[in-house]
Amino acid sequence: MAIVRQAEPGDLPIADARPTARSGLGALLRRWVPIGIGILMAAAMIVMAAAAPLISPMSPSAQHASAVLKGPGAVEGHWLGTDEFGRDILSRVIWGARVSLEVGLASVAFAFALAVPLGILAGFRGGRIGAVIMRGSDMLMAFPTLLLALIIVTALGGSLGNEILAIGVALMPNFVRLARSLSLTIRENDYIIAARALGAGQLRLMARHVFPNALYALIVVATLYIATAIRTEAGLSFLGLGVPPPTPTWGNILSDGRQYIKCCPWITTFSGLAIMLAVLAFNIVGDALRDLLDPRMRSE
Amino acid sequence: MIQYAARRLLIAVPMLLGAMSIVFFSMRILPGDPCVAMMGDQATSDALADCSRNLGLNRPLAVQYADYLWRSVRFDFGTSFRQGYPVSEYIGRMFPHTFVLVMASAVVAAVIGIPIGIASALQRRNPLIDYPLRIFALLGLSMPVFWLGILLLIVFSLRLDLFPLIGGGDLDGVIAMIRSGEAFVYPRDFFAAVGDVLYHLALPALALGFTLAATVSRLARSAMLEVISQDYIRTARAKGTIERKVIYKHALRNMMVPLLTIIGVFIAIALTGTVLTETVFTRPGLGKMLVDAIGARDYPLAQGAITVFTMVIIGVNLIVDMLYAVVDPRITFR
Repeated sequence: MAIVRQAEPGDLPIADARPTARSGLGALLRRWVPIGIGILMAAAMIVMAAAAPLISPMSPSAQHASAVLKGPGAVEGHWLGTDEFGRDILSRVIWGARVSLEVGLASVAFAFALAVPLGILAGFRGGRIGAVIMRGSDMLMAFPTLLLALIIVTALGGSLGNEILAIGVALMPNFVRLARSLSLTIRENDYIIAARALGAGQLRLMARHVFPNALYALIVVATLYIATAIRTEAGLSFLGLGVPPPTPTWGNILSDGRQYIKCCPWITTFSGLAIMLAVLAFNIVGDALRDLLDPRMRSE
Repeated sequence: MIQYAARRLLIAVPMLLGAMSIVFFSMRILPGDPCVAMMGDQATSDALADCSRNLGLNRPLAVQYADYLWRSVRFDFGTSFRQGYPVSEYIGRMFPHTFVLVMASAVVAAVIGIPIGIASALQRRNPLIDYPLRIFALLGLSMPVFWLGILLLIVFSLRLDLFPLIGGGDLDGVIAMIRSGEAFVYPRDFFAAVGDVLYHLALPALALGFTLAATVSRLARSAMLEVISQDYIRTARAKGTIERKVIYKHALRNMMVPLLTIIGVFIAIALTGTVLTETVFTRPGLGKMLVDAIGARDYPLAQGAITVFTMVIIGVNLIVDMLYAVVDPRITFR
């Protein structure tokens, strides 16, 4: 079925007729600098989330009656200002990283773990099983990611687990399709025929030969979908369908701050900036990895 | 061609059915009773039973499901629990708002995205041009539309006071004027009303259009790269055609074909984008209606909105498939 859901950043392959002749330090830098920046940014986000209790200057829920809706630096200790309850924005943004990254990483892991075996099976076995898997995936594909996640999270209620499940399910068809197309190509290789001739069973062929050969491309795309997942989580939180307050998430900080954009734009500015930087970090890493993967770029 | 069209249509039907089933059953496992949501916690159990009978919620699930499917085919999505009038009427009123938003942001996205995509494809060996353009594309992809919307509101509505903070303008009035023919009798009033709609539309379209422009520029870039590696481009160059002519006359026209397929993709992303955009800008529309309906546990309204979204997406993809087959006849033989 030619329904294509979204031109997600992960769509492979991008036709690219770039010249192959690159050499020297310039090429080396051009290739590794973006990936380095992306990895640094992503790592910084992950460290920030993991070390939130250590690096956050105060508790994200502590209310300071003496510092309500104060701008960045207006009150000692509140570097990014405070919200309507006098809560420290910096601390809330740091703690908000937890939900975003937990959902981002876990939902992609969930989609990966369920969809990749299904996709490989659909591509490798084909036939009726393949058709059933692909039709099911097409059906989910009819919904854009945010819409499907929104339906599921509405049905189940907003919580961390439900959000991971909802976004995970919404991302699944992308992985099913990619894994299927990779496995269709891989199964034609001589080494598969050789393994089969040696008596390897179907399960072994899929697990030991198809999967490892598809893994690199799958990981690249997974990185890009972490960005999509983080953006979707922020969207759900913003619509009030994410992890409920008082747990800070970037989306709900931003949504709460909407009422105060006239007097206190810093609340929305910094939480939105955090969302953008996190999404950007994973997009850069995924993009750079994809460039590395492109054989036309590797054959220097 | 007819056979191909029929096959596409036959695939679309079960898909739509499946998608609608997902919508129906997920709305049924929603936490909370819609009658409680409507009548409050203090309602007596008799009143609640009455309400649930009136809304048809006491019937077996299978009956409700069959009923929903049969009605949806006829665009009858029942009556809104909260508002009390037909959902299809509500959707009919909201649809134009969402439609103009999607169209306006498509224009913004095309005007920004296509030239950038082409430039970044043609200048890919020039890091001074390629890099900033790629960074722009990455920023656009990473920028949440609701954040960009708020930033635009802060700058252009609150600080500079150039654009309105909320609302969508009197689109209903414009439509009524066209229908009644008043638009031709009083063109001045008509253009004033259209101007007001555009005035309300500017910031939302800019926000949504900008985030979509990144996707468009990437697709345009890869379409252009694909086209300029074709033999006929090499032939054109070998003939000694000047580079500008090669690009404008040979490449540009041919890259529009692959670009056509992205319309389906584009509509899907744009429609989802309207959910967030309309919420940020407090604009009437299907997206905002959906969010409000979910908040109010108004099943028929939410269900109707999602069903319409899905129908539009599947329908647009179907049309694009057909168009693509018209443009490129080889497709039908696959």
